[in-house]
Amino acid sequence: MNKVIARTINMSKSFPTGEGEFLALKNINLEFVSGEFTGIVGPSGSGKTTLLNILGSLDTPTNGEAEVMGQSIRQLTQRQSGELRSQHIGFIFQTYNLLPVYSVFENVEFPLLLLKMPAEERRKAVLNALEWVGLMDKISSRPAQLSGGQCQRVAIARAMVKKPAIVLADEPTANLDTENSLHILQTMSNLNKELGTTFIFSTHDDKVIKYLLRVIKLIDGEVANDDPASGI
Amino acid sequence: MMILHLAFKNIIGNGWRSLVNVLILSIVLIAMVWMQAMYYSWIKVAEKQHVAWEYGSGMFRVSSYDPFDAFSWDSSFAPIPQAFKQQIEYGKVVPILMTPATIYPAGRMMPAVVKGIPNQQSLLSFPSGGFVSENPFAIPAMIGTSMAKNARLKVGDVFTVRIKDSSGAFNALDIEIVKILSIPVPSVDIGTLWVDLSSLQEIKALPDAASYLILADKSQNTMEAPGFRLIPKDEYFADLYQIRESERAQEYIMYSLLLFLAMIAVFDSQALAVFKRRREIGTLSALGLTKNKIALLFTTEGVLYMVFAAISTAVLGMPIFWYFTKFGYRLPSGYEDFGMPGFSEPIYFSYPITIIMGTLMFLLALTAIVSWLPTRKIASLKPTDALRGKVR
Repeated sequence: MNKVIARTINMSKSFPTGEGEFLALKNINLEFVSGEFTGIVGPSGSGKTTLLNILGSLDTPTNGEAEVMGQSIRQLTQRQSGELRSQHIGFIFQTYNLLPVYSVFENVEFPLLLLKMPAEERRKAVLNALEWVGLMDKISSRPAQLSGGQCQRVAIARAMVKKPAIVLADEPTANLDTENSLHILQTMSNLNKELGTTFIFSTHDDKVIKYLLRVIKLIDGEVANDDPASGI
Repeated sequence: MMILHLAFKNIIGNGWRSLVNVLILSIVLIAMVWMQAMYYSWIKVAEKQHVAWEYGSGMFRVSSYDPFDAFSWDSSFAPIPQAFKQQIEYGKVVPILMTPATIYPAGRMMPAVVKGIPNQQSLLSFPSGGFVSENPFAIPAMIGTSMAKNARLKVGDVFTVRIKDSSGAFNALDIEIVKILSIPVPSVDIGTLWVDLSSLQEIKALPDAASYLILADKSQNTMEAPGFRLIPKDEYFADLYQIRESERAQEYIMYSLLLFLAMIAVFDSQALAVFKRRREIGTLSALGLTKNKIALLFTTEGVLYMVFAAISTAVLGMPIFWYFTKFGYRLPSGYEDFGMPGFSEPIYFSYPITIIMGTLMFLLALTAIVSWLPTRKIASLKPTDALRGKVR
């Protein structure tokens, strides 16, 4: 039986607005187990990114509970949530968010520096990660010298290099053309199968949905559907 | 180490903006070190000149002398103590006799001080054997350039001087200027005529009397000198140090202006960095860096500017510092008329390590504080907002 990586229990999230409060997530009850390849789909403003942010301990729920790796997100101190992210969670962003002054190698290496991994081990891990995403020839390039697809592959390598339990990807293909999107999805799918890493995407891209093994549909902050998908 | 590495990369990656910051800080550092070295060297030069022209390795001054009471000067003498006589013979002590006088150059009347110094001496910088005149009716005298300028005197001028002798009788006699010396010490130059000691002793009817005893060796400080008082170095230089202190106020104003400009540059670039790099702040946070560490990263970047500035100062400032050590710094002409010691000759700079390190440490600390101030905004920045590029 697969281990539960993250769960939410009656979780709600609201944001203050000028006139009152905007309820971004309402009463969310979800469970994610290891090895999942799950997509959170829904129109813009449905709460996909908010849910990912909470699962990534970048935000906290207003009500209810969110647990990741057995730790309550609400209870974590700033330092503990930093540790949780650095040890167990990988992020992939729509806008890649690579560190512009670092080379490809250094960008991928960065999460391992936070884990204080010895230099030789670090080097091996980085080269492995770059091999997974097929960027061995761009090792010394800067993000500005790469295409969008290549940048996203660097971001995947950076998220995967520490072999996290969970990778949260927020609209990872939104800025990419079809060919690059498929390449990225194929890469992530392979990593999911090879390493057993849990992937949770937020997306409204049909190309992505085809790859998913589970689709959670959010509408207006509520789970409208949570079904196993066909997947490829 | 990782923070330092990232900060270093960010600074290098920041390109010309970093370069401008480093240059501004470097210019401030050069200016501050230069100014402090100038004041330090000026005092050192002035001290050296006073030692060479007036103080020697120590000074006994007649006890009755009060520098603030001109009426006391007439009686400011005492017999040369027996113990010093042999030392004077060997040139190890130089006795000086002083007396107030009135001079009448070209019919003008001016107050002056006439000081007698042995014609043959090498302890002070006066030319030995300089009191020579072909005029048998005039006493040869030497003056400094300031005195010459103020009294409009030149070599060969003969004029009357009136001096009161020890019995209270006034003597009027002729003095001939035989040398005009470039004397860098105002108290030795301004309003002073230098004559042969024996001539002055004769005029004053005070054979064997002196007002000062200048020592060649510090060890002579312990000698018994009845009627005289040892003038410690601190007391002798008190006026000089007071001038230095009064100069400090304007020095600090200059520093403040320079520092203000430099710190504005650092603060501005740090505040801009926090605003422009908020997405990076969000990313670092997502990767697991705490807000404190992110703030530390930005602060480290600010401090690194100063470290680079120190390196740049070593490169850019070295030729400047070397130039002033080698060729000295001469104040614009006219400054010597202010009566400030040490201004009439070039000031050759020296740079004590305490000045350089002190200035550097002070600037490092100040830069760290100024760099840290804008990073307080990071503490209130939510990672989710930062990732979206929002700043509250």
